[in-house]
Amino acid sequence: MGKKQIKIQIKKLGFYYKNQQIFENICIEFEKKSITSISGPSGQGKSSFLMALNRLWESIEDAKVKGTILMDFGNGFEDIYHKNYSVTELRQRVGMVFQVPNPLPMSIYKNIEFPLKLRGEKNKTIIAEKVEQALTESFLWDEVKDRLSSDAGLLSGGQQQRLCIARALVLEPQVLLLDEPTSSLDETSARVIEDLLVQLKKKCTIILVSHHIDQVDRIADNKLVLSDRRLEQK
Amino acid sequence: MGKNVWDMLLGFFAWCCAILLVGSMILIIGFLILKGYKAISLELIFANTSPLEALLFKQQVFGGLFPAMVGTFFLILLSIGFALPLGLASGIFLAEYAPDSIKKIFSLCFDILAGVPSIVIGLFGFSITVLLHHSFNSQIFPCLLISALSLAFLVLPYIIKTTQVALESLPLLLRLTAPSLGATKLENIFLVLLPASISDITSGIVLAIGRCAEDTAVIMLTGVVAVAGIPKSIFSGFEALPFYIYYIASEYSDQFELMKGYGAAIILLLICAVLFGISHWVKEWLTAKTRFSY
Repeated sequence: MGKKQIKIQIKKLGFYYKNQQIFENICIEFEKKSITSISGPSGQGKSSFLMALNRLWESIEDAKVKGTILMDFGNGFEDIYHKNYSVTELRQRVGMVFQVPNPLPMSIYKNIEFPLKLRGEKNKTIIAEKVEQALTESFLWDEVKDRLSSDAGLLSGGQQQRLCIARALVLEPQVLLLDEPTSSLDETSARVIEDLLVQLKKKCTIILVSHHIDQVDRIADNKLVLSDRRLEQK
Repeated sequence: MGKNVWDMLLGFFAWCCAILLVGSMILIIGFLILKGYKAISLELIFANTSPLEALLFKQQVFGGLFPAMVGTFFLILLSIGFALPLGLASGIFLAEYAPDSIKKIFSLCFDILAGVPSIVIGLFGFSITVLLHHSFNSQIFPCLLISALSLAFLVLPYIIKTTQVALESLPLLLRLTAPSLGATKLENIFLVLLPASISDITSGIVLAIGRCAEDTAVIMLTGVVAVAGIPKSIFSGFEALPFYIYYIASEYSDQFELMKGYGAAIILLLICAVLFGISHWVKEWLTAKTRFSY
């Protein structure tokens, strides 16, 4: 094995909500093409930490971030909080999956197509190819290929979550953030998603917030714990 | 044990209230239909004119309700046409863009506007007309356009409030979905948030349509007249059903005229029902368009 390659560098990161400090002074690096888990007690800011990585907190009122986050998308390290850095581009490169599956109130196909359309993709053949690829990668294609036009809300919880993963994957992100993606699912559905993440590791740098110690032990290459406002190796 | 009795009493009270309301509605509509159904005829609407000629606006109808129906219809269309874009935009601004302090002040203003009696809005429209007539152009008189603008002011608060509340009550998770996929704020509002709240917003619009259809005080001061025929343009006077009903109710000379008033009331209800139907259909169509077309 060669030297470890770093994808994300975080320096002195602090997160504040309504002027209250959630965490402060976090310095850490994330390796390329690995799964890093973050666990720890609730309310310590694990979700906030993920949202700092794709700047999603900017959509939440009264939230504030301090510090530096550098990411390497192939052109060396770039400051994602630089004023010229496009937040849209960042979110296309850093995908996110939430705790509760959140399909949009549209058909299965339209859900996956949605981010492509946002990016300005108009060619229907390319869209169809990418939708199929994303659904295949997220182990969902065989289950839904005959009903792509039906409401995404009618899928089971596990399928919905895989749909959300597919929706994030269709943009071919280099980093994938997952916020307790299996906490609302049963054991079997959770295992499918775990296998899926291990496969995805070949393409993406994955940061996974998880409460399940077994899950973390099964799939994480690197284990972190966020507690008492500090993020440390387990 | 005691709790159980209170539960039952509360349940009973709630049932009574619901039955009372539904009952009164049935009573009012039933009374109208019972009293007025005999008056409903083509003659009531078109008098002696041939319906086809009247519908094609080839011949004026005298003595029938047709001009008032057309007047009411255009009045509603124009008022909603003015109020809807303004109201939607203001609602979106309040829900998505306004900082807290501005939101508080604006919400208070819109609540006050919602509480202004319609006669005051009518007076305001009338005063503006007089002012424009004297200082700007002596050709400006109370007309369909001024009535529609005044009515738009009257219903604006409903549309603003329902839009704002509908957007604000959307769950945070849905709100974050599109941005996490690279959507800008504007794309999020138009592609996700508005479609998701369209059903609530439509109910505000329906309320506004109803208000435009029934309000008499505003139009009485700003453009409605007893006999005008089909309005030639938005700058002419017009007839409207609620004013006709009010006029008949206060000044009818015989039973026959009173019956026409009842007939007009039923037709007004029917026009509202048709408009509600249309807005419901538009809502379904918009929802389907944003949802399942593949």
